Amino acid sequence: MHEFSIVQAMFEQIDRIVEDHDARSVRRVRVALGEFAGVDPTLFTTAYEVFRINTVCADAPLQIERVPGTDDLLLEQLELEVP
Amino acid sequence: MCDVCGCGDTKAVPVDVHERILAGNDRAARHNREHFDRHHLIAINLMGSPGAGKTAVLEATAAALRGQMRLGVLAGDLATDNDATRLRDAGIVAESITTGTACHLDAEMVHHGLHHLPWRELDLLVIENVGNLVCPAVYDLGQHVNVVALSVTEGEDKPLKYPTMFRKADLVLLTKIDLLPALPDIHIQTIENNLRAVMPIPAMLPVSARTGIGIEHWVEWIRGLARPAVNDADSVSAR
Repeated sequence: MHEFSIVQAMFEQIDRIVEDHDARSVRRVRVALGEFAGVDPTLFTTAYEVFRINTVCADAPLQIERVPGTDDLLLEQLELEVP
Repeated sequence: MCDVCGCGDTKAVPVDVHERILAGNDRAARHNREHFDRHHLIAINLMGSPGAGKTAVLEATAAALRGQMRLGVLAGDLATDNDATRLRDAGIVAESITTGTACHLDAEMVHHGLHHLPWRELDLLVIENVGNLVCPAVYDLGQHVNVVALSVTEGEDKPLKYPTMFRKADLVLLTKIDLLPALPDIHIQTIENNLRAVMPIPAMLPVSARTGIGIEHWVEWIRGLARPAVNDADSVSAR
């Protein structure tokens, strides 16, 4: 269940980006998971659903792009809500 | 302004990040590797299932390397100090990294573990990862090579069931081969074929820590690893 620690690391990235942009919240999160990343998309989603409660991502749906033939594990894009 | 859907929402700002989610771990791993390179220390990340024989292989390795290379081990485990205690009893400099509930080691844990190990005095550091064929494969620890211990008792198809782990391996140690006479349905050739299906550069060494069969080839493989040095073009590349 390393997906939980990976999602935790992603939230640290997100918090930094939100702070850098003086954003209020996140509206959408998009990640890329490679076929050989060793990350299960279902478990990743479950971890995200647990972590996002009462955070800046509380209302942000997660989009996962599966990438064949790579070990990509990327935070691709955020959509932020700014004041 | 939102240019994702074209809605014109002035409060929506898309931010292209395109950053590895484990970028923080990767930085810590690079930091560890710089330490290792600066002190000409070879670092091996030894992974495998619980009970694959990782600790037993290290005991046999220490005996084979005695007087030639100074070996130290950071032993990861969810609970107990048992592996490190076993290794210390075998005369190996060893320290535990107790992960609690975490199913893998990460680079920060290794860095913290180094503070409790006289690693500058070593030639070879083995990071014995938590027994698990999934999670440890995802984290760079700063090692130079990945080695996976796979015991013959685990069956022939583990490489196909856990391809990410075996894709990352520079070498697979097929352990407990002294048990093969009791396992008529297990064939080394089938295991080797399965490894060829997933490993970019297939490499397997059959060993028995109990009888010592194959340990000399494993030790020879270790000796063949170039000692990494800063700005040394011939040094082992990081995986």
